[in-house]
Amino acid sequence: MSDSLLQEIPRFFTYYNCIFLLQAAWRTIALSAVGCVVGFAIGFFLAILRITRERHLLVVRIPSIGYVEFFRRVPFLVTLMFMFFTFQVLKFQFSVFTVAMITVCLIASGFVAEIVRAGIESVHITQWDAGEVLNFTLAQKLRLVIVPQAWKVILPPAFSFFISFIKDTALASQIGVIELTYAGKVFNNKGFSAILVFGTILIMYFIISYPLTRFGRWMEGKLGVSKH
Amino acid sequence: MQYTVHFGQVVKYIPYLLGGAWLSFQIAFLAFCGGMVIGLAGAMAKTFGNRFLRGIVNGYVTFFTNTPQLVQIYFIFFGLPQFGLVLSPYEVVLVGMTINAGAYATEIQRAGFLSVHRSELEAAETVGMSLLQSVRYVILPHLAKVLYPPFSNLYIIMTLGTSMAAIFGVEELTGRSFNVNATTFRSIEVFSITAGLYILVTIVASFVLLYLGRWLFRVKGKVF
Repeated sequence: MSDSLLQEIPRFFTYYNCIFLLQAAWRTIALSAVGCVVGFAIGFFLAILRITRERHLLVVRIPSIGYVEFFRRVPFLVTLMFMFFTFQVLKFQFSVFTVAMITVCLIASGFVAEIVRAGIESVHITQWDAGEVLNFTLAQKLRLVIVPQAWKVILPPAFSFFISFIKDTALASQIGVIELTYAGKVFNNKGFSAILVFGTILIMYFIISYPLTRFGRWMEGKLGVSKH
Repeated sequence: MQYTVHFGQVVKYIPYLLGGAWLSFQIAFLAFCGGMVIGLAGAMAKTFGNRFLRGIVNGYVTFFTNTPQLVQIYFIFFGLPQFGLVLSPYEVVLVGMTINAGAYATEIQRAGFLSVHRSELEAAETVGMSLLQSVRYVILPHLAKVLYPPFSNLYIIMTLGTSMAAIFGVEELTGRSFNVNATTFRSIEVFSITAGLYILVTIVASFVLLYLGRWLFRVKGKVF
């Protein structure tokens, strides 16, 4: 058993297989990075829509709540399949990678909206009143008063969510995006032993994710949010 | 863009899908309970164990929280047969999810243990409580309050995670929706109904957890 595994290793780590694995890893990273950046932008916007109390924003507040709750309560896989078939039926000529990327952005924005909302709610209500007294507009209140204080509370969970997102993109393999998990399936189908193949894939995910986890922990310590 | 939505063909499959939701619930619940037990053992080892034990638990937690659950289950699914151990897909998914949940639960419970202050124990001793009494009246209520919200969160995340079982051929909610999709070819309708069922299941779970927490431990919280 272990003998055959050892014999397989040089056959597995050939030049072209390594290139394939690295390209797959690149797709995983690209998928999660784009998802994070776009998701953060949309999520921030949604969170702000959701916490506003102005009456004329009610029309946008309710859809934003629906959006956030939808994407947080439906599994990644189901959303992915839904988007995949929807684009197919509507005859959009998107590659699977694009479909996966759009889905990833949608889901990330839902989750980030919730994190940002928690951060903004952690700022005491009197700060809003103070902004009101100074006759600030909503944008000014947010930019000058609320966000600078909420930032410290938002950043650590947002970062750990992004790391968990790298792992969630593994599901994109199910619609045929050639990322790390898919590469693992390909090699396994080629006849390499599963322990070797999926072990390698697991380690590659670990290499991507672990430094970011450490960085996140360091940042959390640096920002010094007191936990109570 | 000529597509007419026909829910009619899919609606009759809703009882079938609900049966899948019941299986999803089972997987999530069993894996959650298993994860709690592993987490308790892991957190104990991390808090009270010697260096060797702590190292093992640390390695376990770090590795399993930094790699995707899907690939872990793939590893078990295709790896175990090489050792001559063939499990059914249901068992593989259950084992994979339990081990994965165990890693997260270890972290949560350890943070809970750390949140019990020495002064609380000293206060318990001052009023003359025995060890058992201080566990019963001081430590457990405190732990319950601290651990309940992250655990209910974990449960919801795990309920969503069970959709992964479909990939291995377990016929839970997502798996059954794949089946219905293959029979009716009404993809949009099938997956929107499935999404609706997941939302229903998680909202029900959120409310049950919220009221259970209020009733048992007086934990405050909200669903939306």
